[in-house]
Amino acid sequence: MKKILLPLILVLLLAACGGNGGEEPADTESLTEVTFVLDWTPNTNHTGIYAAQAEGYYEEQGLDVEIVLPGEAGAEQTVATGNGDFGISAQENVTQARLQDVSIVSLAAIIQDNTSVLASPEEYGLETPSDLEGHTYGGYGSPIEEETIASIMQADGADIENVDIINIGDTDFFTAVQRDVDFAWIYYGWTGVEAELRDFPLNTIDFTEYSDALNFYTPVLITNEEMLENDSETVEAFTRATAEGYQFAMDQPEAAAEHLLAAEPDLDAELVMASQEWLTDVYQGDAPYWGHQEHDVWENYMSWMHENGLIESELDVDQAFTNEFLPGEE
Amino acid sequence: MRRISSWSVIPPLLAILAILVIWQLATTLFNIRDWILPSPVQIIQEGMEIYPRLWAHSLSTIQIALGGFAIGVSVGLALAILLHLMPRAKQSIYPLMILSQNVPIIALAPLLVLWFGFGTLPKILIITLVCFFPVAVSLIDGFRQTNPTLLNYMQMIGASRRQIFFKLEWPSALPYFFSGLKISATYSVMGAVIAEWLGAQEGLGVFMTVASSAFRTDQVFVAIFVIMAISLILFGFIMLLEKWLVPWDTDRKGADDDDE
Repeated sequence: MKKILLPLILVLLLAACGGNGGEEPADTESLTEVTFVLDWTPNTNHTGIYAAQAEGYYEEQGLDVEIVLPGEAGAEQTVATGNGDFGISAQENVTQARLQDVSIVSLAAIIQDNTSVLASPEEYGLETPSDLEGHTYGGYGSPIEEETIASIMQADGADIENVDIINIGDTDFFTAVQRDVDFAWIYYGWTGVEAELRDFPLNTIDFTEYSDALNFYTPVLITNEEMLENDSETVEAFTRATAEGYQFAMDQPEAAAEHLLAAEPDLDAELVMASQEWLTDVYQGDAPYWGHQEHDVWENYMSWMHENGLIESELDVDQAFTNEFLPGEE
Repeated sequence: MRRISSWSVIPPLLAILAILVIWQLATTLFNIRDWILPSPVQIIQEGMEIYPRLWAHSLSTIQIALGGFAIGVSVGLALAILLHLMPRAKQSIYPLMILSQNVPIIALAPLLVLWFGFGTLPKILIITLVCFFPVAVSLIDGFRQTNPTLLNYMQMIGASRRQIFFKLEWPSALPYFFSGLKISATYSVMGAVIAEWLGAQEGLGVFMTVASSAFRTDQVFVAIFVIMAISLILFGFIMLLEKWLVPWDTDRKGADDDDE
């Protein structure tokens, strides 16, 4: 009896020490563990992922997905080093990253059109890029900001030299524009909707009105090249389930928003619902299916970045994205 | 003395050189990708290439760091003297001082931005907060270490409070003050960078944010090197100042430097 007891205790101890591994029920053992790195705190851009998680689409594909926040390192580096298997990035980051040998690849466009805009309180009267002269921009610390604003200002006959640029880091938009800055770069589907809810009238400047090249994909779903080469089955399973999740979000926005809220109870429910409503038709946009990426969109924006000195050499965009794993492709 | 101190520079220089050589060899040998760990040569090359831009950012950081350092040290100095002369106040304020060091800067900085905007004030406040403490604590310690025999003697011959302070307590606490000063000096640069990183128009903190979001690890390292250099220069300057102002304290210093 004693002979059996000792190994048994040891096994139990080991199981207890196993942390995450030890707590999992036996039947998930066959599931492939996958780490997914968000680009930001959870929001409605991520609803499809939370929906896929809650509706069990990942499990059906044999995956056990753990969703993590990016931290300071950023999703791109985390995914490229293999510390995360999948993540969320944006076209401009993928382009820049690949030129620095950060080997990430975009699997799907989460939103078809660039819904990011320059926003300012209506009372400041900043309606066009040339109105921005003499005002202060609150940036988030990306190298593309200045050039992007410069190019639409130029298209409108104005000069960015007359704009003050401050890095406001993570400071909340509403605080920033009521303090030291006049306008900032926001995702309309989140902060813009929040402004509507708060009855805080905004003026927005849409980049895509001034240059087609600026209608890039933001955000996108990414993985690393090694996954693509060595484990394309997992990539396919993951992309498929995620696409299903976004389909669910488009078909049943309210139920999908509930899933997001259940996973992240600290979010403002009213904002999540309204934002989800706004995004329903925007996820897929005019694309033939959710996630589809056009070669031209990648190519045009890459050329734009190159012309504006944001990247030192041209990038072969065919290696930067693939539609191969999207279910709509068949 | 001179000769010994110039010789003593060589071992640390050799150690640094060795690290750089190993680093350089490792990055080539293991073929480490640039964005994970760039080689020292690459970092230096990049540094020379972006020198003008980097200089503008550094200048702004140096200004803020020095400003905050000066204010922080003055606050620390004033507080230490005040608390030393008023033991009652010390009992109530000393714990508060320690508490002030337990406020996480990373949480406080965004709040300061919220209250005071993106200008110089919140940054100076952050640096002041991290700088005053080492000075105040070491100076209070220094006052406490005053030679009791001498103190007794001075009291016996009827020296005034003022005379005791300026002739005995202050000179004997001066080496401690410099220890605190050296720690504060290194904190000030770090404090400035963190403050800028959370919101600023220019400075090494801003430069690092942009570099890291452009996946330019080499530029991040350039900034790290510059920050270390600024801290080192500031540190060296204070050491010189100490040699000049506290020439009598040659025995204690060797041991004290080891502590830091």
